[in-house]
Amino acid sequence: MAKAVKIVLAGEGGQGVQSVAEIIAEAANEEGREALYIPNFGVEQRGGVSVAFLQIGDQAVGSPKFNTADIVIALSERAVRRTSQYVGPDTVFVYDSGLQGIEDDIPKNARKVLAIPALQVASDELTPRVFNIIIMGAVVKATDVVTEDRAKDAIEKKLGYKFEKNPKLRDLNYKAIDRGAELVAALL
Amino acid sequence: MPEKPIKGEKRYFMTGNEVVAYAAVMANAEIMYGYPITPQNEIMHYWTRMAPKYGKEFLQTEDELSAGFTTVGGVLAGRRAFTATAGPGNTLMQEPISMAEAMRLPIVVVVQQRGGPSTATVIYSQQEVTLTTLGGNGEGFRVVYSTANHQELFDYTIKAFNTAWKYRFPTFVLGDGYQAKMRESLTMYDPEERGLKMVPTEAYVGKPGVPGIDRPPGQYRNTYNVEEEIHEVVQQYTKEFNAIAPEVAEYESFGTEDADLVIVSHGVVYRAVKEAVSELREAGMKVGYFRPITLRPLAEKELKEMAGRAKALLMAESSVGQMTRLVKEVIYGATADIHTLYKPGMGISAEDVAARVRSIL
Repeated sequence: MAKAVKIVLAGEGGQGVQSVAEIIAEAANEEGREALYIPNFGVEQRGGVSVAFLQIGDQAVGSPKFNTADIVIALSERAVRRTSQYVGPDTVFVYDSGLQGIEDDIPKNARKVLAIPALQVASDELTPRVFNIIIMGAVVKATDVVTEDRAKDAIEKKLGYKFEKNPKLRDLNYKAIDRGAELVAALL
Repeated sequence: MPEKPIKGEKRYFMTGNEVVAYAAVMANAEIMYGYPITPQNEIMHYWTRMAPKYGKEFLQTEDELSAGFTTVGGVLAGRRAFTATAGPGNTLMQEPISMAEAMRLPIVVVVQQRGGPSTATVIYSQQEVTLTTLGGNGEGFRVVYSTANHQELFDYTIKAFNTAWKYRFPTFVLGDGYQAKMRESLTMYDPEERGLKMVPTEAYVGKPGVPGIDRPPGQYRNTYNVEEEIHEVVQQYTKEFNAIAPEVAEYESFGTEDADLVIVSHGVVYRAVKEAVSELREAGMKVGYFRPITLRPLAEKELKEMAGRAKALLMAESSVGQMTRLVKEVIYGATADIHTLYKPGMGISAEDVAARVRSIL
């Protein structure tokens, strides 16, 4: 039986990595798959790198945290440094191409390294507020843990009450999923 | 009678702390006493969120000493009462828990272990095993269930209330910060719809009638004048605790009959062990596991048999041997080699377990 897909998402507090991980986990659960999501947490109320551990498979998930991820997504300079410990020879390492000064910190042992311009796409084409949804689209495309449609359903479930008031937000979020998926699809 | 939050059986996806709060409501718990400490805070949050709707009560005390003693008071008044704590809060709570042991009071305590010693981390460990099983100035007359997943958190929180009220020993659900904070799926249900009857509660004090005339007097003591008296009481408790141990003790095991190495673990670490054993078996290695569900009392007979048969044991836990000490006492005399994988204050992954096994075999 296929092993669970192991995902690490890391960024600065406020970049929304925890909500992305949670929405994907819930989407997978809705599909009847087994999902386990655990955030890192400490005594700090803000500051520090925020890391989310996510596993999705077809049977009960084992230990909540793991040593090596199938895919690592690092969204800030510090997140790149922090998450290199979860990279192994089978890992796909994804980072934002707008990050600076991290050239020497990009893991050299990864199976594949993908730089995606998510920050730039968010601010040029959509709005910076959907940056994390672009990332969500990228994760979903790169891992196939849930379908893009299911990911959109999960966003609807989470933010539907906001979409009711402002239907434009729905289009914006759906577009963000699509663009995120396109960004990785071009590189895979 | 207020409605219950869950009807029928339904799959949920939530955090472990939420699960515990739901389980307590579904077990007909009436009141929670507590003092905030990470990583158990959300048990209180979710309980208080549900409390007004389902006719429950909550008291936030000034510290864990008080939370423990008020839980003791609630039980004396005949309420299905519980509390939850972690780390330094668990340390403080040992005093009231000792009183509950002394007076045979069925308090239920949920512990979500964090790193130790002292404040340490708010994250995770298995370093509250010694404290939870044997803490306080007593003999450890307690029942401790060590859960591994959200389904068990739900099942054993319900069960803890029944174990406590049936045998009148303080009963614990021993989780950890990972289980508290992670989200995974489980099926929740109404125990009564499954034919699981909740053991009725009864007041220790304030009963009607004149003591000694209309009813026997209630003598619930934690103070004694002479050595002979306390000696007799503790001997009697020991006898009763040992008598119920075989029916209270629970465990799971796999592949121990033909194994070259049996891995012993409890709680969330068992998940990693189970995963690793299945991989190693597929690779043709004769590896098995033994997982105590109750850390107090342990499944003594089964542990002894397993250790008597095994060539080697691997003790895996997120502490420096707190479970191992309990197990060693039971298997004394067995000749199996004992190997260890101790990661105090840190999680143990299936990769860690598999790598350690390969280094031994």
